[in-house]
Amino acid sequence: MTDDFDTPPPEAPPPGAPAHRFGAPRDGAVPRMETVRVTAPDLKRRAAMEKTRSRLVFSALGFALLFLAVVLKLADATIIQPLPPHRPEKPIAQLFNSPKLQDSGPRARRAMITDRNGEILAISLPTAALYANPREMIDPAEAARKLKQALPRLDEEQVQKRLSEEKQFVYLARQLSPREQLRINSLGIPGVYFEQTERRRYPMGRTAAQVLGGVDVDGNGVAGVEREFDKRLRDDPGPLRLSIDVRVQAVMRDELWKAKDEFQAIGACGIVMDVDTGEVLAMVSLPDYDANNVGTAPGDDRFNRAVTGMYEPGSTFKLQTAAMALDSGLVHIWNEFDASRPIRIGRFTITDFEGKHRWLYLPEVLAYSSNLGAAHIAQTVGAERQRAWLRKMGMFDRIGIELPEAARPIYQAAANWKELTTMTVGFGHGIAVSPLHVVRGTAVIANGGIMFDPTILARPPDATPRGTRIMQQSTSDTLRKLMRLVVTDGFGKSAEVPGYYPGGKTGTAEKVGAHGYKKHANVAAFMSVFPMNAPRYAVYTMLDEPHANASTHGYATAGWVAAPAAGRVIARIGPMLGMLPDLDDKEAIQQALYIPLQPGRPAGAGRAAVMIGDQPKPQAGAPATKPKKTLNDLRHEARLEVTPTGGAHAVPAVAAR
Amino acid sequence: MDRRLIRERSFGLTGKLWNISWLYVLLLCVLAAVGYVALYSAAGGSPEPYASRHVLRFAFGLVLMLSIALIDIRFLARLAWPIYGVSVALLVAVERMGHVGKGAQRWIELGGLQLQPSELAKIGLVLVLAAWFHRASWERMGNPLFLIPPLILVLIPVGLILKEPNLGTAVITGLVGGAVFFAAGVRWWKFALVALPIPFAAKIAYRYMHDYQRARIDTFLSPESDPLGAGYNIIQSKIALGAGGMWGKGFLQGTQGHLNFLPEKQTDFIFTMLGEEFGFVGGVALIGLLLLIVLGGMVMAVRCRHQFGRLVALGIATNFFMYVFVNIAMVMGAIPVGGVPLPLVSHGGSAMITVMLGFGILMSVYVHRDVEWPDRRDEI
Repeated sequence: MTDDFDTPPPEAPPPGAPAHRFGAPRDGAVPRMETVRVTAPDLKRRAAMEKTRSRLVFSALGFALLFLAVVLKLADATIIQPLPPHRPEKPIAQLFNSPKLQDSGPRARRAMITDRNGEILAISLPTAALYANPREMIDPAEAARKLKQALPRLDEEQVQKRLSEEKQFVYLARQLSPREQLRINSLGIPGVYFEQTERRRYPMGRTAAQVLGGVDVDGNGVAGVEREFDKRLRDDPGPLRLSIDVRVQAVMRDELWKAKDEFQAIGACGIVMDVDTGEVLAMVSLPDYDANNVGTAPGDDRFNRAVTGMYEPGSTFKLQTAAMALDSGLVHIWNEFDASRPIRIGRFTITDFEGKHRWLYLPEVLAYSSNLGAAHIAQTVGAERQRAWLRKMGMFDRIGIELPEAARPIYQAAANWKELTTMTVGFGHGIAVSPLHVVRGTAVIANGGIMFDPTILARPPDATPRGTRIMQQSTSDTLRKLMRLVVTDGFGKSAEVPGYYPGGKTGTAEKVGAHGYKKHANVAAFMSVFPMNAPRYAVYTMLDEPHANASTHGYATAGWVAAPAAGRVIARIGPMLGMLPDLDDKEAIQQALYIPLQPGRPAGAGRAAVMIGDQPKPQAGAPATKPKKTLNDLRHEARLEVTPTGGAHAVPAVAAR
Repeated sequence: MDRRLIRERSFGLTGKLWNISWLYVLLLCVLAAVGYVALYSAAGGSPEPYASRHVLRFAFGLVLMLSIALIDIRFLARLAWPIYGVSVALLVAVERMGHVGKGAQRWIELGGLQLQPSELAKIGLVLVLAAWFHRASWERMGNPLFLIPPLILVLIPVGLILKEPNLGTAVITGLVGGAVFFAAGVRWWKFALVALPIPFAAKIAYRYMHDYQRARIDTFLSPESDPLGAGYNIIQSKIALGAGGMWGKGFLQGTQGHLNFLPEKQTDFIFTMLGEEFGFVGGVALIGLLLLIVLGGMVMAVRCRHQFGRLVALGIATNFFMYVFVNIAMVMGAIPVGGVPLPLVSHGGSAMITVMLGFGILMSVYVHRDVEWPDRRDEI
């Protein structure tokens, strides 16, 4: 380019050149600066010219760079990512709509959320919001006065202030009823407008509040399913069907509320899950809130204990330990474990609650919930296998349910997983998982050994959920008997529901405070599955910091506070879920599920021996005047068993008070 | 043949004609020819109504340019102040009685010729700033007080153009003025000192505007608020460019343009029109041509041996560059402004005349690049 211009002028004048002319040029001729007399100002001028020259080159480079940027942008627009020539309805449709309508026009309503049976849990209703353009306002004071008359919930002073703002848009009120809208419209105030919006309603209010979460004032999901499926609910108008069964949910909430009240617990949590599909039918966390007012609900109420709360599972974990030990083949069902004396490791001592002070068979370890026995079982299996088992069981990972609140378990790193850890984890201490983790883990044990990820969405009826086999069928069969044993002969007696054959495991864990374990703050849980002969549903009930009362003889342990609630829930939801109590085949089912506490004894004898034996108080379902279980108690239970199922739950409830 | 001798002997009309950079004139003619092709296509394959008038205007502009090129640059320097004064007066006049076009007062009728005073103001500004800095010695450049009068010279037209309101041209005018300051050797930190309070000043100015003025500014700042206007145009423009791809759809084959999806295709969106028909390759070729013209102006500036000429050449080249850059970036949706044509390609008389006027002055600088011109005050 440069070279194509005219020939360059002579750059330097010859040295010693003659006079330099000043003054105006002569007419006609333009003199050329042939020579230069080098004076001081001249040098300065040249310096300035040099500066200008470098700046010019700099500018030219800048221009060239900007051109390069334009070329790159052009490459982007033409070759790299050309905009497809979509020319559909939209731009043409826009021609017929004013821009204003386009902006605030009615968009598709947020989809409904229903329970598994189609009951509406959340629905968006059309409503109007009131806004104003203060610039068009003639008399803000007058307008505010009129608006206040038409809509008494307004604050007149505040409205007047807003109407006087230097803005073009202010909201005055949201969620107007059609009647209110009509009243305001008939006022005819210029500058006041309506925006068509929608309002999210939760007809069930507090039921399943934490599961649903809620939406903010602009209709964005802020928690729970509303947040997890925010985009889906916006984009797809079809209702979102949850796995929740609102009836089961309501029963669980009702029973937990009563139990929480009775034992003055600070909170409670309950889960019902289908063990064969992982569908969660109920998920309750107390205290809860009205999903319609999620914005003002305190954080404590919004906390979902079922998935966010991490608790030491306590003795409910002994099921895991037993399953792990039996499945590995390292432990036989009739192995004995030393529960005769405390285990001392370093400054720690492991003891039993109301211990037997003798060697125990594995069924006894579960039935009497022996920490020492579980610790020895875990020790026998070893840290490596234990960690592998727990990992396989998903106890180290965030649970894969479709709730944004799902949190991660707390556990020791492999390097810190000492022998003591192995032992304490054996009876559910030194690890903290969510209640849903426990439920899933127990469902695997009960359903034949196949793990399904819990889901909050209803599974299509024809879809077979894909599970992973975690343990052998035979292990699961044995564990089912052991779970049943806990209810028939162990700490879980108060969960018994005639005809539903529940099995389970109690778990009472001391809560961890600022200075180690809190002596008088427990988390009492009962993890059950029913019916044990053909497991369908896992039922989990938990009370957070329950307090003992007279009816529990001073005990605030799971067998006394959580298990009865589980029993009542099972009794009430069983019929709802289409299961009638099976009393006709009682003998056969009992027989099939029977496992003795100790080997070599016939069924009836074994049971009777234990019954009359040295049972500690907490396991006894009988009143305090009869601390030891007698044949009378058996008759008492038998009387309960023949009570019709519909009212079965009422009997223990009354008895508990 | 020793051309230097010829120039030496008689720097008369012939000599000056010899000194005109005919290569540069050729580049401009090529650009205008591109404009002819584009306008021919924009009219659906017909010289009417755009292309034929384009040629006539360019011919007129060419004559104008060559005439100005022969005027002694020192005489033009004397005219700097009058031109600046007239342009400012016209800006005031357009505010009072100007023709309202496209939502803003920008045009004025002057003897049958529509004129955009803001375009004239830019040339006046470049001339007057160059004259001011021409007599600046290096010491005086260092004195901040010396920079205040030229700063006011910039702010007067910028303020008036802003009031039209025409934010885009106001910004371009400010940047052209800034470029002259920069080339004159003003230190970097002084630019920062001037640039920093601009956002605050803008905010205050906005507060004291009338509502309708504010509304115009709002629309200007966010064309997306008007989906039928600029937003729609940009979308269609992007679609057209995408349809062009690497090699384009071929001359007269662009559907976006010919089916009238592309608005303003003969003016603001002429680049898109070419992009659709000649693709990435055609677009790059056109950008290359425009870059040659800009850099040619810069080379002329460097080759000039007096400060006035250098600064004027730089100012005019910058102005042309701004036009081109803003237009092309706009049609590709990179910057949200409208109403800037592609010089010498777009249809439109006023812009063509002012651009050719500018090139005339640029060429005069080149012709008179070696004139003897001391920088004393009484010389100007």
